[in-house]
Amino acid sequence: MRSAGFRRNRRIDRTAAAALVTVLSLTLAACGTSSSSSDDDGDSGGGSSDPSAPLDPKAKVTLSIDCMPPAAKAAELKEWNEDVKEFNKTYPNVKINGKSTPGQCLEPPRFTAMLKAKSQPDVYYTYFTDLQQVLDNDGAEDISAYVNDKSVPALKDIDPNVLDVLKKDGKLYGLPTSNYTMGLLINRKLFEQAGLDPNSPPTTWEEVRTASDKIAGIGGGVSGFGEYSAGNNGGWHFTASIYGLGGDVVDATGKKAAFNTDLGKQVLENLRTMRWDDDSMGKTQLLKWGDLQKQIATDKLGMFLAAPDDITYMVQQLGAKYENFGMGPIPGAKATLFGGNNYMIKKGSSPDKIKAAIAWQNFKFLTPGKGQFEWDRTKTDKLPVGLPQPNFWLGESKTKDDALRSEHATMPVENFKPFMDNPVKGKAEPPKAQEIYKILDVAMSGVLTNKDADVDKLLSTAEQQVNQVLATQ
Amino acid sequence: MSAPTLSKSEAREPSPGRRPGSTRTDSAREEFLRSVRRNLSAHGFLIGAVLCFSFFSWYPMVREFILAFQKNENGETTWAGWSNLTYIFNDPAFWQAWRNTLLFTVLALLLGFIVPFVIAVIINEFRHGQGYLRLLVYLPVMLPPVASVLLFKYFYDPGYGLFNRILEVFGLPAQQWLQDTDTAMLSVVIAATWMNMGGATLIYLAALQGIPGELYEAAELDGAGILRKIWHVTIPQTKLILSLMLLMQIIATMQVFTEPFLLTNGAGPEGSTTTVVYLIYQYAFNFNNYGSAAALGLVLLVILAAFSAVYVRLSRSGEDE
Amino acid sequence: MTANTLVPRRKRAATVEVARPRTLISPAQLGRSRGRTLYWIVFALVVVVFTLVFLGPLYWMVTGGLKTTQEVVQSPPTAFPTSLHPENYEQAWKVMDLAKLLFNTLYYAFGALAFQLIFDVAAAYSLSKLRPVFGKAILGLMLMTLMIPATVLVVPQYLTVLDVPIFERNLLNSPWAIWLPSVTNAFNIFLLKRFFDSIPRELLDAAAIDGASATRTLRSVVLPISRPILGVVSIFAVVGVWKDFLWPMLTLPDPSKQTLNVGIYSLASGVPENVLIAALTIASVPTLLIFLLFQRNIMSGLTAGGLKG
Repeated sequence: MRSAGFRRNRRIDRTAAAALVTVLSLTLAACGTSSSSSDDDGDSGGGSSDPSAPLDPKAKVTLSIDCMPPAAKAAELKEWNEDVKEFNKTYPNVKINGKSTPGQCLEPPRFTAMLKAKSQPDVYYTYFTDLQQVLDNDGAEDISAYVNDKSVPALKDIDPNVLDVLKKDGKLYGLPTSNYTMGLLINRKLFEQAGLDPNSPPTTWEEVRTASDKIAGIGGGVSGFGEYSAGNNGGWHFTASIYGLGGDVVDATGKKAAFNTDLGKQVLENLRTMRWDDDSMGKTQLLKWGDLQKQIATDKLGMFLAAPDDITYMVQQLGAKYENFGMGPIPGAKATLFGGNNYMIKKGSSPDKIKAAIAWQNFKFLTPGKGQFEWDRTKTDKLPVGLPQPNFWLGESKTKDDALRSEHATMPVENFKPFMDNPVKGKAEPPKAQEIYKILDVAMSGVLTNKDADVDKLLSTAEQQVNQVLATQ
Repeated sequence: MSAPTLSKSEAREPSPGRRPGSTRTDSAREEFLRSVRRNLSAHGFLIGAVLCFSFFSWYPMVREFILAFQKNENGETTWAGWSNLTYIFNDPAFWQAWRNTLLFTVLALLLGFIVPFVIAVIINEFRHGQGYLRLLVYLPVMLPPVASVLLFKYFYDPGYGLFNRILEVFGLPAQQWLQDTDTAMLSVVIAATWMNMGGATLIYLAALQGIPGELYEAAELDGAGILRKIWHVTIPQTKLILSLMLLMQIIATMQVFTEPFLLTNGAGPEGSTTTVVYLIYQYAFNFNNYGSAAALGLVLLVILAAFSAVYVRLSRSGEDE
Repeated sequence: MTANTLVPRRKRAATVEVARPRTLISPAQLGRSRGRTLYWIVFALVVVVFTLVFLGPLYWMVTGGLKTTQEVVQSPPTAFPTSLHPENYEQAWKVMDLAKLLFNTLYYAFGALAFQLIFDVAAAYSLSKLRPVFGKAILGLMLMTLMIPATVLVVPQYLTVLDVPIFERNLLNSPWAIWLPSVTNAFNIFLLKRFFDSIPRELLDAAAIDGASATRTLRSVVLPISRPILGVVSIFAVVGVWKDFLWPMLTLPDPSKQTLNVGIYSLASGVPENVLIAALTIASVPTLLIFLLFQRNIMSGLTAGGLKG
């Protein structure tokens, strides 16, 4: 049995086998992959262990942070880099490692996947609606002890309604970067062409309908009113619309859907009428965020529900002119959806990291006259100044910020007068917002794509699904 | 081309691991050791693929079963019993997704299976320009799918889209394409067929070129026309390839995700392009509900398993003829 | 079957080829003048329709990228751009960082190809020729995965990639998340095994008598005669990664690591339509070039694989 030929064969084949195994284990074990537990790249824990003390400038910290402006947003990216430089003058040992996302910073499916994978950067961008999901995945640090008058001097002037969104059981999990209330964004040029007064946008859905009809009458593929019905945006705008009429999406217990009402029907029925009876909403539907902006920027759309910063987006990325836009309050004006975004800090970050993250957020997003509130720079960089967003200051900071804003305003302020002069009570987004929005997308696409859509059935189906989602967890 | 008879030859091969006799004579011992050695080396060759399969295919399958009976609450994973299954059965979208998937499968078979075959039969008749035509048909396969899909999205646009313009030129009524519950799925299938039929066409062409010409001559002597020749010669001669492609087509159809996802932003008008796989995606990555996603995957698995059993049975009985 | 594509090229005159194996329609029928007219009418029609159907969209794409934003969404659409704007292409290249996306995609595709060629060929060879114990069971388990749509397993597979058991690695955002799962391509193993099965036993026995090890037999006997099937498997491997969407979207969330498909998708809403169309054109160029250069090899390889399958 010890024939030489066999032995040689065996050895070679064993080598081959061993090589294969080695290659495979190396592929898994070596370069390019990160060990599940090696996230903290050896930051010195040298700083003070007292959470309430501000960051020791000597502490060496590397912060990864997402939602840095992408190359497409050249002006904002330039400002970001300037701010990092400026920040490093005070904290030379903090390395800000920005990651940019083309398109939207946060897409719900990608975000969910990221949380599940715990692959979020140290400091990560979230929507106001995301807190519960983040906590379900144990994804954020409780920063209550770190946030105080010293680390965030303007803290007392931040609208408590905004901070409440970031709190759960009295604990604070994030700091806001921006917030908005939804209004009616209009294309002033088309309003004039249609013989409407751009300084008084419609304030009720009846007026919206009339105006939409008139604008669509211009012809050439112009539609009067536009609405989303995909990518969770349809449900988001359904919510905004029903809030405007004084309705609700989820009842006070947070366990039952509350939109299958006359108001809910009114929202859908109204869209159905505009889309089919008046044919003033264009033929292309199933739109999501970004589509309507493209339409209004090319003067193909008269109006849609939007947050004010859509204008910044359109000016910067779609080459639109900001004088061309105006805003009015949300039709109905009983209440308006308020939302926004913020940064949270990854669970398991060292105290120094948390402090550094808060110091950066304070500098970039929460100091009047600095960072995103450095309006003279915004003006120099040819970005719009004078938009009512972010809009979370109260008291002294508000006075200061408003003064700076109007001093450097590049937007004709009167274009926003109808929106600013008629403040509508803000109303937070429902629990499990993204799930509910996703479900309501179907109801929205129903009335916008099917002439004979059964509004009652659409709503009761959605109600059943939303109740089911609310019942789990 | 003769029909490959592989599965038969496979069956004829002796089972490799079995060794005859068990008396411990020297020669048996030697043979035993030899087989051990041979096996070691053979498994050495296998190990890379087996490890990959274990980690990224077999283990996930097992995990699929476990996940389907688990739920995740406030960061803790607990057993959920049957609740994930009741969740999906109570979801109106569940039944809709199945209806849509069925519709998609039927349409995809009508278009994606028959069209390439017809095209192959036509091209095969040409004495000129075959190379050019084959090139054309295969071209879309090489495009990045996102490019093809977005192109079609522009063409389908009811406002400025090319397709309505073409209909208009021919005096036909404009369509809503992706925007209408009745035509959305069809539109998705048309786009998917355009994108993917190149491969199938080429394979059919190769199969057609293997048909012996005498068979046609014999059929002509019997006075058969073109259609009868197709029915009695072409199709029987390519039956094996056709059935293999049919199976692949159905599997591919069940997996469809990219096209509806990109063309209709997911759910489509009133959810009319929500397929089962899209619903799985939605449960998992929109609702953060991995349990229900896995439960739905399980249901799909069971149905596909039943389908494959039928298929295997049919193909066996076909071979026995 | 490559023979008859070559023949007509040489004799392009109207004489009906003698060497060509006959097909559905009899040569006699085509020889008649009525048959010949009909043939040419149908032929012309098919060529025109196919050109429109398959090249038309590409033409629209190239010119769409040259139009202004207004003109792209104009109704009715224009056949020729009223004014040319090549700067759209420049903007698309820069803003969408297409160079990076292209590089990433090729990197993943060819990495996956290498892994599949090594692991899958070795496995198929072992299953076909070395025939180990449990070989059949292993093959069965592998083929079983063919019956399960990959997308069904996407959730558990995704969770596995997040935390690979035993190794405790997170493969997210790393190329391994594409490469290693790509090895689990049962169809390629099946194709390879079928081909290896058809290699006569005597050839290998001869090599074994010469004292060649299994590895050497594979390298110097099996692989050289398997070139056609290796070509096919390579095409499937590369095209598979090239076309995949859902998996890279989930496992490569970092924008700087994304593939062409995912990158363009996530950027689509952020750029004007004409720039987006220009980007689509640019993204299509590399594979179209590769395809046109190697079309003969690719297509003959593909059909050869189909025949064996």
